[in-house]
Amino acid sequence: MKSYDVIINHKGNIDLAVIDSILLRLKNYIQDKQLDIVTRKRLYTLAVECLDNIYKHADNLEFHQDMFVEFPPRFIIEKIGEDYMIHTGNVIFEKNKEKITNKINKINSHDQNEINKLYKRALMHAEISDKGGAGLGLIVMARSTGQKIKYDFEKINDKFFYFAMQLTLKK
Amino acid sequence: MKHINIAATEKSPRVTFDPKKYLFEMEGNSRPENVRDFFYPLIDNLKEYFDSIIYKANHKEDESIFNFNFKLEYFNSASAKFISDILVIVKNCHDNGIKIKINWYFEDGDEDMKEVGEDFSEMIAFPFNFIMVKR
Repeated sequence: MKSYDVIINHKGNIDLAVIDSILLRLKNYIQDKQLDIVTRKRLYTLAVECLDNIYKHADNLEFHQDMFVEFPPRFIIEKIGEDYMIHTGNVIFEKNKEKITNKINKINSHDQNEINKLYKRALMHAEISDKGGAGLGLIVMARSTGQKIKYDFEKINDKFFYFAMQLTLKK
Repeated sequence: MKHINIAATEKSPRVTFDPKKYLFEMEGNSRPENVRDFFYPLIDNLKEYFDSIIYKANHKEDESIFNFNFKLEYFNSASAKFISDILVIVKNCHDNGIKIKINWYFEDGDEDMKEVGEDFSEMIAFPFNFIMVKR
């Protein structure tokens, strides 16, 4: 039977202070376990990009506190055997569902070589948004894991969906 | 002549720009809270300075080699965009007769950091000098 461990299990608000605290916990874990340099940097990269995405792209729920309680932002890292699984979740507007789906499907349709090309092209043409994102996060995730990005949408109501994503970092 | 000296923090790199020593250096981690506030002034300064010395370089009045050292441990995707913008400025210097050398440092075993450097090098079509360091 494969070993199983939960490294990070966060459900609740994700702001800059929470991101710092999660990354510090991850850094401590990485140091304790003395992971090899490639795994340690990839795991850290995935955590930063996922948390940044939730922080920058989670649609504003200020006026929807009930939904926030029922569908909180989520960030989980598990270790299953030698592999790491990252799960994220956040509420998005229904109107953004198609855009996210198309972006991930496009990335998932490429092999690793094409993803590298896509990354270079995106780097040249990226524009930094008001929220400070370059729109490169998903490509970096696909590049770092070498795996397809798994995702799902759960309908909350006509206006909102819960966007869940799963990444696997294989040894 | 503008000298830049930004101290490193947990989230942002040390940046040194010393035109007298023909040196630009970026070292550490880069995931600044406000990535635009961090990089825009830096990029503006570099552009302004190099635009001002292109004439001298074109007229062979100064043939010193400008060293650009990247000693990064980690940078997020938004920082990658700005690093690529800096490299485009650097390449533009070269295209205008300024002698440059780009040194890309990576830790022993950190193949991803080396690969990112190779990607940047390919992107601006200028060879980097790769330097492996042991920690």
